[in-house]
Amino acid sequence: MTESNDIPDTPLFDRAGSIRGYRLNKMAMALGDPANRAAFKQDEAAFLDRFDLSDAEKAAVRARDWHEMVRLGGNLFFILKISAVDPVPITQIGAAQAGMAHDDFLKHRLGKT
Amino acid sequence: MAQIIGGVGTSHVPSIGVALDKGLDGTPDWKPFFDGYEAGKAWMRAARPDVAVVIFNDHGNSFFLDRVPTFAVGVADRYRPVDEGWGRRAIPDFEGAAELSWHFVDKLVESHFDPLVCREIDVDHGLQVPMELFFGRPEAWPVKVLPIWVNTIQYPIPTPQRCWEMGKVLRAAIESFPGDERVVIMGTGGLSHQLQGRRAGFINREADLAWLDGIANDPGRYRDMSREDYVETFGSEGAELIMWLVMRAAMNPEVKLVHKHYHAPASMTGAGMVVLENA
Repeated sequence: MTESNDIPDTPLFDRAGSIRGYRLNKMAMALGDPANRAAFKQDEAAFLDRFDLSDAEKAAVRARDWHEMVRLGGNLFFILKISAVDPVPITQIGAAQAGMAHDDFLKHRLGKT
Repeated sequence: MAQIIGGVGTSHVPSIGVALDKGLDGTPDWKPFFDGYEAGKAWMRAARPDVAVVIFNDHGNSFFLDRVPTFAVGVADRYRPVDEGWGRRAIPDFEGAAELSWHFVDKLVESHFDPLVCREIDVDHGLQVPMELFFGRPEAWPVKVLPIWVNTIQYPIPTPQRCWEMGKVLRAAIESFPGDERVVIMGTGGLSHQLQGRRAGFINREADLAWLDGIANDPGRYRDMSREDYVETFGSEGAELIMWLVMRAAMNPEVKLVHKHYHAPASMTGAGMVVLENA
């Protein structure tokens, strides 16, 4: 599978995404280290500055805009570590991806009643 | 010679581990999921394996994007649970089946596979959760492990056909290993789920149920599918199911489907398992 992908609404983490999102994902990967999690919590802006992120990337992280982070090349498995520092249920992240209200997402996508 | 005593396929959803850590396994949300694994656990106790080969993918925990191995094999004596962001989980370290691992690496390279060989590496929920689902929460794991990592995160991921071929080599390696180990093979990942993009939350119950029977009785169908087919049918992260093919190809063409279980959703995933014995 290369650059093109014809499956609707299904971004694949391909070469372009990996290159585009490298720094954002590297910042998120660092949150696997407890010292970095403490630094993120203490001064998020200063922590993000260490990773050479663009203004758009920083803004997406600060806003916890999960859809935008993925659009910028963030891969969910890396950026999920942000939700370890600042807890958000994964279904809420999913709803944000889908562009749906959380309750609608649970009901209509996951089939929960 | 070592022998294959069975193959299992199972989901490895991280929230399963969280549910166990928080004691939520008896809650209405989780009980039906965990109840379905009791038969699998009982089978595992009776089967008395010495070694578990666990085929799984890392989820941005032990491998970053600076180096992405398509296939990696652990040859360590010990593997620690990795810190995925919430701290290391309070489960025992995993003892490695290092001799069998090195033998498998030899057989892979002789068979023209080129794995990354890992001497020191932590393991994430992809290995932890299947072990907990089939062995519970012991003070020490009753088996040694042979971890096989498959890249399912960054494209290009390996083809289903290549995963199948690796399973053939795995079988040859186990059956040529000078020992009397009883080996169970655990293919992990899936079932249908998608965590990214506008189609996030996609679950395909019909395809999942067909998979649980088909992986036993009609695996050629799944071996022959393309990666695109997997993504379309099972969701972008559901393509992890290609890892069950390594397990299935190591078994006989004819197998007995001893147990199966399905529950959806577990978190955002269609979740379930099969237990297979050679017919």
